This record gives sequence, structure tokens and C-alpha cells, in this order.
Amino acid sequence: MTYMDKGLVEIHEALKSGKVTSQELISESLKKSKEVQEKCNAFVTILEDAKETPVTEDILSGIPYGIKDNYSTKGILSTGSSNTLKDYVPFFTATAISNLESHGAVAVNKTVMDEFGMGGTGTTGHTGIVKNPWDQTRMCAGSSAGSAAAVAAGVYPYATGSDTGDSIRKPAAYCGIVGYKPTYGMISRYGLFPFASSLDHCGVLARSVEDAAIVVDGMKGIDKNDMTSWDSSNMHLYDSLTKDIKGKKVCTIKEIADISMYPNASSELKEHLENFHNTLKHFQDLGVEVEEVSVDQTLLNALASVYVVISCAEATSNMSNLTGIIFGPRSDADNYIDMMKNYRTTGFSPLIKRRFVIGSYVLQAQNKDRYFHNAQRVRRLLVDRWKEIFKNYDAVILPVGSGPAKKFDEDKDMLDHNTQVLEEHLQVGNFGGFPSITIPDGFVSGLPVGINITGNCYDDINVLNIAYALESTMPYKNQIVKEEH
Amino acid sequence: MEERKFTSEMVDDYADKLLIGLTREENQMVLDEFDVIDAQIDIINEIPNIADVPPMTHCLDDFTYELREDEEEESISIDDALANCDDYAGDEIKVPKVVG
Amino acid sequence: MEDYQVLIGLEMHCEISETKTKVFSSAKNGYSEEPNSHIRPVDMAFPGTLPVVNKEAVKLALKASMILHCTQPEYMYFERKNYYYPDLPKGFQITQETKPAPVGSYGYLDFECKGESKRVRINNIHLEEDAASTDHYPTFSTIDYNRAGVPLLELVTEPDLHSAEEAVAFLETMRSIYQYAGISEADSRKGQIRCDVNVSIMDKGKDASNPKNWGTKVEIKNVNSFGGVRDAINYEIERQIALKEDGTYDEMEQQTRRWDEDTFSTIYMRSKVDAIDYKYFVEPNIPKFKLSPDWLESIRASIPELAPERKEKYEKVYHLSSYDAQVLVKEKAVSDYYEETISLGADPKGAANWITSVILGYLNKEELEIKDLYLTPTMLVDLMDMVKSGKISSKQSKEVLNKVLEEKKAPKEIVKKLGVTQISDDKTIRDIVVKVLDEHPDLIEDHRKGKNTFDFFVGQVMKATRGQANPSLTAQIIHEEIDKR
Repeated sequence: MTYMDKGLVEIHEALKSGKVTSQELISESLKKSKEVQEKCNAFVTILEDAKETPVTEDILSGIPYGIKDNYSTKGILSTGSSNTLKDYVPFFTATAISNLESHGAVAVNKTVMDEFGMGGTGTTGHTGIVKNPWDQTRMCAGSSAGSAAAVAAGVYPYATGSDTGDSIRKPAAYCGIVGYKPTYGMISRYGLFPFASSLDHCGVLARSVEDAAIVVDGMKGIDKNDMTSWDSSNMHLYDSLTKDIKGKKVCTIKEIADISMYPNASSELKEHLENFHNTLKHFQDLGVEVEEVSVDQTLLNALASVYVVISCAEATSNMSNLTGIIFGPRSDADNYIDMMKNYRTTGFSPLIKRRFVIGSYVLQAQNKDRYFHNAQRVRRLLVDRWKEIFKNYDAVILPVGSGPAKKFDEDKDMLDHNTQVLEEHLQVGNFGGFPSITIPDGFVSGLPVGINITGNCYDDINVLNIAYALESTMPYKNQIVKEEH
Repeated sequence: MEERKFTSEMVDDYADKLLIGLTREENQMVLDEFDVIDAQIDIINEIPNIADVPPMTHCLDDFTYELREDEEEESISIDDALANCDDYAGDEIKVPKVVG
Repeated sequence: MEDYQVLIGLEMHCEISETKTKVFSSAKNGYSEEPNSHIRPVDMAFPGTLPVVNKEAVKLALKASMILHCTQPEYMYFERKNYYYPDLPKGFQITQETKPAPVGSYGYLDFECKGESKRVRINNIHLEEDAASTDHYPTFSTIDYNRAGVPLLELVTEPDLHSAEEAVAFLETMRSIYQYAGISEADSRKGQIRCDVNVSIMDKGKDASNPKNWGTKVEIKNVNSFGGVRDAINYEIERQIALKEDGTYDEMEQQTRRWDEDTFSTIYMRSKVDAIDYKYFVEPNIPKFKLSPDWLESIRASIPELAPERKEKYEKVYHLSSYDAQVLVKEKAVSDYYEETISLGADPKGAANWITSVILGYLNKEELEIKDLYLTPTMLVDLMDMVKSGKISSKQSKEVLNKVLEEKKAPKEIVKKLGVTQISDDKTIRDIVVKVLDEHPDLIEDHRKGKNTFDFFVGQVMKATRGQANPSLTAQIIHEEIDKR
């Protein structure tokens, strides 16, 4: 009998009834961690000495989980998957993680990510590439690659993630699981290594909408250490779940989801979009109206650059604390400038360095208005457009990516013109801080694909319920990697 | 070809100011990626009245919050402060000589 | 000199010392001999830490803004100033650069210089954080983060000052404001005040209100005392005039120099062309904060009486000379001491005399501050009362004060111990007078003939009483007794 491939409520009941102990769950999770490490390279650290916690009424108590390695964890190596912090052991724990701890959750490993979250491939972490458990010749997407791989492989029911562009919601789709980032500020970012502060969200990778709701209930809360956090104590995500969404109205966006937009579509893309439109039909059974809206193509075309410009600019500043002076391996040099420069040159991966240079360029006084401020302006236009849509619709439903997980030889981190909007549209959820969840909706070429539901700020319960109801119409809840696929 | 806005020399200069070194290949990759961005920014500039849109600087700006009360919290310990530092002297972090 | 007019602008940085905690961190705001003893994780920029704005620091900054007749923003926010330096742990300073972010924009201040009233326009005043402090050794430097994050007010004037004296008078006025308003001790010896000075010269007769007529601006960085400001300005004026006379002034580029105390000269640092681009952008971790009119009003109402108002009160209500009033208000601590003395019932003029002539002289000689003075206002009032009631003479009181300060004992105790006390008893004195007159009938005759023998009689009485007879009462009784004969 295994438990780590089950849902939280089922595991909790087993614990309560004494069928299994927290220690046994930890052992199972650690054993599975080692298998998945062997196969997928999903972990920076496996916490062999993880301690059981008392089983209480709290669903999360006694149950193992994983932490993305950009969450600061007291006494536990926290690298952000970067050589710049390869030995960094913090003395304080991120608020979201200490919240989970106070619910009795048991961390068993720290998961590999794209370096500091800057990447969407899961290939730029300092401990090597993360392989997709469904097909090890493919990537998991990123940046929460290790978390997605581990949850999909049944190491534990959930792992924390972070999402600046789509870093929870894209890997969730590629790994056939659920990825949820709530409204910006619902979960404190204190202790989350920053990538782009105005876009960074904490969130979770799980195998069901129910589990995602339970975990975010455990992570969220206003925090005196994060001024952008807000009080959500009157929002009970799990308790509010209902499949009755009759009468709701959702929409999809023609310019993103319509196959006619992609005259040169590959067969995978066609299959993916077809699958998406088939999934939309499930809404009819749920009594939900689905319509198609249009968004100005110019705005959509600018989306990817808006993201790159804003995220690179904020990142280059956020990572200026990485000099090796207070933490990180000190570089040898006889003057302080060379000391910092050696550390940064050898510590950061080429991708990050490129992004820093771009971020720096767009912030220069003579360039700032054309690039940075214009990007911030289009950010507003996009967010305003989405908010306008939310006046008429409960959620925007869109396909995730242009198909299933990509092969390692297809580099996703350079902007590709043809399917760019399809690949990058989830970033609007970060621009506006919208609650956004990806759930699996089928298979293309034998690999899982996902569908995304995004709603207005603070409307998390609504978004979760739409996902919860839609999930119930499909056979992918609590989906675990099936190797023979 | 139109004259480049961002030249290889500029890339190196910016990298240097960010205290990072780039290889030739990395430098070229910056230029390639930049060209894509620059072309898209050209599109943005064609959006009517774009200059009148207030830049969106924060993710949310519609919630109320309080400024912090002026109450002291205990200092972190020296051991914690220096635990990840590779070079210190006594209770202070040591760096190569800093001159004005 | 007479061929040129001088334009001087100041950037005055002053630490806010009157908050309990730092501006973006809840670590103690205060000097400590012990390095790294006032730090929270954010002060050393540990990954994942976030700034949280101190309400009291904002309040004090707004107070300064109001005193300087500046406009307060509708929404307050902060920006990042990005640069690398070992004393700047985050790699950026959180500050307010671009209008309307600063706590104050476009105000003015009237101040006095050599009895003349002057007005300087304030471009802006903004709230920011201080950097860490570094200590230098022969082969390395060390960093102490106690100062990192201490609130700092930066005040930027227009180039409305025309001489070193005016610049120093302005700075002294500002120091007085900071002290009186309870914002800062503003003590340059503690490194709380640091200035950058802009100096340019232009031909006399041209219109100084037109920036086109201004000369080339030279900025002198990091001048850390008012004396330094004076010397740096005077040096720079002469240097620039010499260039004019040489005919090489027009070749001088806009530049930054630094004041070198050892060589007593300004030294070239960099040209305007090499100015650092700080890549300012809005700090995304601090939401825009609406300054409510109610809060602003309550801050305005809390502005206390400042030096000019106190001076006026001293002249008009207490009838002090303008000179004495100025001496009393120069340091807030002295003025507070004076006001407390009066509130305990002392005669305003008498108290002013004591403080300006005796106490300040003593403090000056001993290089002490009034807060270190053993004599409290209560003791001063006791001393004044003893003179008033005739218990001791005015002459004795000076001796008593010296003993009080020397032995650190209360005036009453000293009087008792020394046995100094004045004889004011009519009968005791009268008996002695009668005895003296009886012994010198010839001198009474001389007195009647118009010779001055009166002082002799007084002297004899004093001799007989070891100086303790009340002088005025003695004189009165001598007159009465002579008239009786």
C-alpha cells in the first residue's frame, strides 16, 4: 500500500484511523525521492532526517511535501538552484513555509528550479537539468521543474512553487498535474528569493484542485514582513469548494486559442487546441456558458516583450545583493570590484547574465521611457483589458502552451515568433496578480497537456470552483505518471 | 541593415557595470534577443496615446495596508549574521580595502 | 571677487535620530559601539527579505516637508537607486527621486544671515535609507551594518545661496529645525549630517534668475561638517575665479569633486559625462500609500514651536535683548533648559542672565553640553530663590554654583556645608552697626561734613560678620543709626 500517490484528505484519514503513521509516510516519500532523483534529478537536497509531526485535525499534519529551493528554510540549504548560493544555509524560514510548518506539514526535500526562477525549461539549475517523469527526453518546463516532476511522480501530494511568468502553471501542464497561484499578496513573499518583485507569486503544485485549495489555505495570510500581503482570513478556499457552478459565464480568447490563428500549426498544436475546445464542451454539462472574446492583437504581440523587459529590469536589481560579501562563496581578488565581479561571473548561468544586461539596458535613463515605462504601460493596458473581460465573465479559459512537454533540444528561452502568444499568455496573470490555475485536460502524443482558468483579483474561490467542477468532468484528478504512456 | 541601437561594445560595458563578464557567444546572444524585444517595442510605440497611460509599477494597487508601527524587534545574532560569510574579522565582515 | 556672483546649492543629508527603529526595518535606530548589534535580516539583504516602511519615519519626514513649505504628494512611494558598493548590501538604496514621490516638493525656507533675512527655495526633501559604515585598515576594510537602513532625510535646495556664510547659516537653521521639531539631534560629530555642495560663478550684473546665465556647476561630494562646507565653498570660489582670470574657465566641464581636509582643497573625481546611471525605478515591494488629509493635518498640528517663534517670545514676553534671545534659542537643549527654569517659577530675565553669562560660559570652558550639566533647572531655581529671599548674596551665589558643579551636590547642601548664609536679621545687624558707630564718632562727623566714610562703616560690619551681612539691609541700618545721632 502506498500513500504518497493519494490525495491529502485520503492520506489524512489514513493517518487519523491509524492505518499509517507520519513516520511511515516520510519513509515512503524519502524512498520515492531517491528514485525520482535518480531518474529526473528533481532535488537539490533530500532531507533524510525529516521528523514526523503529530497528527491533528489539520489535514496537512504529518504529511510530507516538497519545497522549491527559492524558499528560505532555516538550517536547510537554500540555493535558488544557483552557484551563487550553492552553500547558503539561511537562519530564517519563509513565511509561507513557516505557515505550513504550523499546520504540521513535513518537508522532505528541496526541489530544483531554473536558476532563481529565471527560465521556463528546468534546465538552468546549478545541479543540472530536470527531466520530465513522463518522458525523460523531455523537459518539465520551469521554473518549478523539480516540484512538478516530484508531485507528478508521486513523491508526495504537493510541493510549493513560485510563479513570475508561468513558473507553476506551465510545468504543471507539462507534468499532468494541478498548478495554482492565488491572487498576488494572498501568500506572503517574505523569504522567497525574488526574481521580479511585482510579478512574483507563491503557489502550489498538487494533483487535485481540492489539494491545491487545502495547501494554499495553509500557506496564505497577511504578513507584517511583506507590505504587499493582505488579510484573507475570511477566505476559506477548501471549505468553499463546490462543483455547482451553474449559471457562471466563462470565455476564451480567439487570438490565442483559435486554430485559425496558426496557419502553420504542427499536428501537435492542432491536437492540443482541439483537445482544449473539446474540454470547453464539458462546461455545457456544468451549466456554464462559454463565449469567445477578442483582444487587440497588438497588445498580445507585445506581451512577451513586456514580460521580458519588466522581469529583467526588476531581476537585475533584485539580484544585486548577490556579491559574495555577506553570503555565497567568496571570490578571491585583491580589490572589492574584482571580487564581486568574479563571484557574479562564475556564479550566474549565461541565461541570467544575458537577462541582467537587457534589464540594465532598459533601465538606463536614455532608454527607460521607450522600454521600461512603455512595457509598464502595456502591462496596464493588458490588465485593464482582462479586468474588462472579468466584468462580463467569471473566468478566462485558455490552453497552456502550444502542446505537451518539449524535447530538450528545443530551446524555449529564446522568444519564438510563431506560437509566442500561446506560450506566454499566462504572464497576464502575473501582470494583474490574477488568481490562476492549470489543471490537466488530456494527452497529446501520449503526454499530458493542461488548461488554465484565470479570474479577477480576490476571486480565488470562484476560480477554484470552476477548476474543481471542470476537473470532475475528466479522469485526471490525482493523476500520477504512467510510464507506459 | 539599420545601425544597431545596442552594440557589442555597449553590451560589454553594461555587463561590466553589472559586475559580470560575458563571453563572445553570450554577448551575441544578448544582441539577438534584444533585436526581438526592440522590434516588439516598436510595435508598442505605435499604440495610440501610449504615452498617456500611467506605467503600472505594482502588481496590485487597490488594497489598503498600514505603515509599520515604530516598534523595535530584537537584533539577529552575530552568529546568524556571519554564518554564511566566508571572510570576517571579529564581529565584522571583511572585504578587500575599499578606497573612496 | 567683486566681478562675480556666486551661486551655491546644497544637498543636505541628515539622519533621523528620533525614531526607535530604522526606516524599512524594525532593527533599533541608534548608534552602538558594538558592531552588527542592531540588525534585522533585511539590513544585510539576506535573500527573500523585504522592506517595511516605518510610519514614524514617514511622519517625521512629512513634518520636515511642512516646515519647509513643501507640497506633500497625494500618494507616497519609493524608488530604487541601483549601484554597487560594499557598504550597500542590497545593491540599491531605497529612496525617493522622481517627483511626485518625495515627501516634499518645491518649498522654501527663510533664514537669517548676519542680521539679514534670506530665502532659499527647496527643490525637494525626501526620505531614504543610510548605507552601512566601513572601517579601514592597512590591507582591508570591515563593514558594520548597524547604520544600514537608518532613516535619512535628503534636502535639495535651488542654487539660491551666494556665499559660504549664507550656506552655513542655512545649514545651522536646518539643524535647529531638525532639533526643535524632534526629528534629529542633527549632530555632525556623530556623522548625522553630510552635505554635497554645488558651486558655480557668473559675471556680476547678469540676471541670476535665468539659468542660462549660470556658470558651470561643480559638485563637491561628502562634506561632513559645517566648517568643511564653508572652507570647501571658499576654496572652490577662488579656484573658479582663478580659472576665469586665466581665461580657461570656459574649458571647465561640469564635474564632481571631493573636499579633502588634509590638503584643504577640492579634488577632481569625475566628469558629468561619467556620471553613474542609477537606473531608478519604483520599488515594487512598497505599495503606493495614500496620505490622508486627516493624517497630514494631525502631523501639521504636531509641529512644535521652532527657534524663531521662541526667540520672538523671549524678546516680546520676557523682554530679553535680541542678542540674549538668540543665544538661548541657538541650541534647542539650552532653550528647553531655559523654558523649564521659567516654568518652575524663575524670573525670565534673571534666569536668562544665569544661563547666558554663567552656565554657557562654564559649558564652553569645560566643553560640555547642557544635558551633561549637573545643575538642573530645579537647582537653578533654588539658587535664584536664595538670592531673592536674601538668604545668600548675589556674590555668594556664584561661589555656591562653582561648588555645586565641582562637588556635584545640590545648592542647598552646599550652602549648608559652607556655612554661607546671609545675615538678614535686623537686630543682629543693628547691634553691630551701633557698636561700630560707637567706636568711631569722629568718622560720623566726617560723614556729615560730606566725606565718604560710609563705605568704611559697611566694611567694618562685613568684617564683623565675615561678609554674611545682607548688604542692602546693612546700608539701610547704618543710615538710620547715623540719622538717630
